[in-house]
Amino acid sequence: MKRKFDLYAMTWRLPIIFWQALFFVGPLLFMIAISFFVVKNYRMTEAFEFVNWQKMLTRNYFWDSYGYTIFIAGISTIVAMVLAFPASFALAFRASDNLRRWAIFLLIIPFFTSYLVRTFSWYVILAESGVVNAMLGYVGLGPFKMLNTHFGTVVGYLTLTLPLVVILQTVTMANVDKTLIEAARNLGCKPLATIWRVVLPLSKTGLIVAALFCFILSFGDFVAPFYLGGSQEPTLPILILDTTKSGQQWPRAAVVAIMMMATLFTIAFAAIALAYRKGGAR
Amino acid sequence: MTEPLVTFRNVKKHFGDFVAVREMDLDIHTGEFLAIMGSSGCGKTTTLRMLAGLEAPTSGEIRIGGDLMNDVKPHERDTPLVWQSLALFPFLSARENVEFGLKMRGVDKDERKRRALEWLDRMEIGEFADRNITTLSGGQKQRVALARSLVMEPQMLLLDEPLSALDANLVIRMQAVLTRLQKELGITFVYVTHSQSEAFAMADRVVIMSQGEIAQVGSPKDIYRSPANRFVAEFVGRNNILGGTVISQSSETVSVSTTSGDFTAVAPADQRTTGSDLTFSVSADLVSVSIDQPDALNKVQCNVISEEFIGSVVTLFLESADGHEFKVQMQERDLIELDLRSGSQIWLSWLPENAHVLDGD
Repeated sequence: MKRKFDLYAMTWRLPIIFWQALFFVGPLLFMIAISFFVVKNYRMTEAFEFVNWQKMLTRNYFWDSYGYTIFIAGISTIVAMVLAFPASFALAFRASDNLRRWAIFLLIIPFFTSYLVRTFSWYVILAESGVVNAMLGYVGLGPFKMLNTHFGTVVGYLTLTLPLVVILQTVTMANVDKTLIEAARNLGCKPLATIWRVVLPLSKTGLIVAALFCFILSFGDFVAPFYLGGSQEPTLPILILDTTKSGQQWPRAAVVAIMMMATLFTIAFAAIALAYRKGGAR
Repeated sequence: MTEPLVTFRNVKKHFGDFVAVREMDLDIHTGEFLAIMGSSGCGKTTTLRMLAGLEAPTSGEIRIGGDLMNDVKPHERDTPLVWQSLALFPFLSARENVEFGLKMRGVDKDERKRRALEWLDRMEIGEFADRNITTLSGGQKQRVALARSLVMEPQMLLLDEPLSALDANLVIRMQAVLTRLQKELGITFVYVTHSQSEAFAMADRVVIMSQGEIAQVGSPKDIYRSPANRFVAEFVGRNNILGGTVISQSSETVSVSTTSGDFTAVAPADQRTTGSDLTFSVSADLVSVSIDQPDALNKVQCNVISEEFIGSVVTLFLESADGHEFKVQMQERDLIELDLRSGSQIWLSWLPENAHVLDGD
């Protein structure tokens, strides 16, 4: 069927199309253009050369950083999904509707405060003479080095993502039809096994979306690896920062940014394809 | 008489302040088709859920095959349930749904598949075995749900309003499927429904529940012809219920004075006391109609209010001079001969032995 041109609907859609074009598509195209510019005497000049791409993609430090960023964001995503699951499960299946609403509200509160402030507050807790090491000291353990380590980076990522992951997981699992869990029990499924047999398959889509969000946020975050991870092993966002600071290499930073976006696009498409795949013949 | 398969003794179930089931005593026998019927909130579904172990009774005893079941977990029971919503797993194919229970019991893969396919074939949906559940029609899903429960070869099948989501003509077909299956397998069916036609069409015995209590247990015919009390008489419908004071008695009958007139009814000895209150019901299909005043013991003149046409049978709704509602069920062709219209005056009459005396209160 041929779609009729609807002036009224079009009028209402225009602002968002305009907004996206102006503030998303435009800058993106500009960034792609910049990646072909060259820097001469610390000044960026218009050009169309592949030198930045060549320089960045042949350097080991870029690929080391690329691998490390995927690794640490991936680890953080797994930890967040596992840590959040029991809490989300309890909120979705054990809590009353009222308690669940309150819990979701409380989980939003961390977003009211600056992420940077929340990150700095970890200094007090994780420092060599901080709260955790002081407590461990009482039982004769430590002190452990927690700041400026991979552990610090993951803690920072979790500060950003954990509340969101709990919210997404809870909302997903709260929508699971409880009759299906009872049906599984009725057919001889043990209580814990219902998680694997029923809850996970039913909330697969939502859980994959939660993990995807968590990964995207961690992958692009600069605060946690910089302040808590000590940036000894730079992640890609830190690499962007370093590249722009050292010699005004905006074109090379653009190359890193484009590589990051391409990676996230690929992962997002793969995740969504996985999330919406269905079993059985159609 | 053999031991009953299931016994409820003094079973109560409270949800906080809400009493779902109060003081239930019930025996369910091996191989019978028992329907539990009542309006919503009467406790019929709670009763079924207690049988499946999905709710534990607050007090009392439930035994299955003589064993006390109060604290036995749902997955340790042999009481598969067919759910109102069917509760099929949308992420599994039809065959995988049927295999689910066998898998939980540790039946090996080939055996599981063989038995699942056998049941899907038996339910005449073998060709859809590998289809995704969401692509099946309502009737096909119904059959998958039945196969999923029956493949477990249970001694008792629980059904919670399984036909309520189907079209009227499909309901009739599934009723035939269910009754045939129950006779072939010889297992006990416990069938919860709010539909009188479903209960009466299939069940050997019907339990009528009201506000957490059993109002009557009996064969469909018993309940239809001899309702135990006013609640059942009203719930079963198509009954004319009249109440009044006994003014005289004879060896078998009493005369009752009601606002609609004086009527004679056959009554049991303990109800034949002059001066006491008495309520009786007359089935709508046992009432005769005539234009002229009949020569009968029980007669009342009524105005025709409306008629309800269901196939060949028609229900007339009428009102007597004092405003009491009467119902008469008759063949459509008989009604045409009478040539009635709204507001017509006609006479109703019935025999004293067709007046059924209800228990007090």
